[in-house]
Amino acid sequence: MTVLSEPRAFRRIAVFGGVYSNAHALAATLADVRRRDVDAVFCLGDLGGFGPHPDRVFPLLRDAGVRAIQGNYDLAVAEGHADCGCGYTDPRDNHFARLSYAYTLAHTATENRRWMAALPGHRRLRLGGLEALLCHGSPRAISEFLWESTTPDGLISRLLDDARAQLILCTHSGIKWHRRLPDGRHLVNVGVIGRPENDGTSGVWYTLLTAEPGRDLDVDFVPVAYDHETVAKEMDAEGLPPEFSETVRTGWWTTCLEVLPGRERARGRF
Amino acid sequence: MDASAPAGRLTLAAPAATVAFRHLAALWVQITGTLCNLQCLHCINASGPREPWLPPLDAATARRHITEAAALGVKEIYFTGGEPFMHPEIMELLAFALERAPTTVLTNGTLITGATADALVALAGAARYSLEIRVSLDDPDRRRNDAIRGRGAFERALRAIVRLDARGLLPILTATETEAAVDDDRYARLRALLLEAGVRKPRVKMLPLFPVGRAAGRGGGTVTTEMLAAVDPARLQCSETRAVAAGGVYVCPILSGLPEARMEGATLADTLVPNRVDHPACLVCWQTGSSCRNA
Repeated sequence: MTVLSEPRAFRRIAVFGGVYSNAHALAATLADVRRRDVDAVFCLGDLGGFGPHPDRVFPLLRDAGVRAIQGNYDLAVAEGHADCGCGYTDPRDNHFARLSYAYTLAHTATENRRWMAALPGHRRLRLGGLEALLCHGSPRAISEFLWESTTPDGLISRLLDDARAQLILCTHSGIKWHRRLPDGRHLVNVGVIGRPENDGTSGVWYTLLTAEPGRDLDVDFVPVAYDHETVAKEMDAEGLPPEFSETVRTGWWTTCLEVLPGRERARGRF
Repeated sequence: MDASAPAGRLTLAAPAATVAFRHLAALWVQITGTLCNLQCLHCINASGPREPWLPPLDAATARRHITEAAALGVKEIYFTGGEPFMHPEIMELLAFALERAPTTVLTNGTLITGATADALVALAGAARYSLEIRVSLDDPDRRRNDAIRGRGAFERALRAIVRLDARGLLPILTATETEAAVDDDRYARLRALLLEAGVRKPRVKMLPLFPVGRAAGRGGGTVTTEMLAAVDPARLQCSETRAVAAGGVYVCPILSGLPEARMEGATLADTLVPNRVDHPACLVCWQTGSSCRNA
């Protein structure tokens, strides 16, 4: 997998993951980011899946100069894999995952598939004094889920050692969280902007990271409200499963629940 | 897949296929050895109530391996047996493990009284990481389940699931198939069983039947080097797992305790080296990509 390194150090960056074909949420996120005085904007992958009209997100990303990496969905769509690579075993989850993947694959232009195929798998950058590794799932596997309740400090330490970094940024699971180890290193799951995070609210989240000299890293999760009702209507009009638009409207996950650890699952409605 | 040599042709035995070790994602602790209050017909390690062939693990050894696994960056700890709740120090060991990593217990559920369920909920609530309870129940049909798992096993397992779910600690029903393939219909029926029992967030994990223990001889074959080359090594859980039981560290939870699956070495780190995959059960992992982990 390719790793792209940024030549200069940054002071403040905006990072998000999981666009999931939600162009309305992406536009609202980018509008919010423009007011934040950031040096650069990064997307940790999974541009398609779940939402309607996958091609609509690409011009927004390119026009805003978003520096993206490849998610498992992007890799699968770019290469025409048989499935999204999330590894579900529950036949109900697989049923919905297949519908979503088939729709996205059929509605993504060749030009955009090529663009995703050319994305790097990782990026490295310096944020203040911190060496950061940007990945999709985990530094070691594109489809590894890093949930707050099932990612022990010992594992984070190991991943940071292996990556020779003081900061890891990831997404993939769909729920944001941040852990600062006692030695001052960090792992941040930046969350996703394409789907609410199973908390009963329709908003989504991106992450601002600021490294001021002489201060610890600031990690701010920024809420973004967007026109979710329009997205839900577009999903219904495209014939996507009503279970998907229900999630957009209510903020509760209805599918792909199998991968949630008990603690995260207990917080949701289903 | 028939991996045997063509009939009528003599072949020299090929060296056993080996799998490279990637990283330690899961440590399995076979805490009660093969001591169990049930005696299921398909049990992978032939556990039962009388004279276990593999004795329980002493708590100090379990703690030592858990500590080392955490330092190696393990992602999850699993307690299994036998029946883990027959171990006198199980609650203390779970608390010890949960301070270091997310922890799961594989149980038949029969010993999860209301008081034990309360204690587990308290433990989970105070823990930094997720505590998962996997309750074994193989068939949504009570009669067929009990024919495999013993009289009353269905009722007691379902009661444990409902008890835990009612307290907000969402158990995972774990079912072993009667064949090496996993049947989607059984998955759906198990889910329906849970919903009918009032479980609001049904969780089901299916495992294929492994030809080992009491199910030895029911299928299997040999994984060859050529067969291994055809799949992603990450598909095989032995590339990311080890099991500790009385007698040492073993390659995986399915083969835990078997002399031929024992890894050499004084420490857990010593055992994170390539391993052979020439047991008939290895073929099931190769075919299904199944992992004993929760997800």
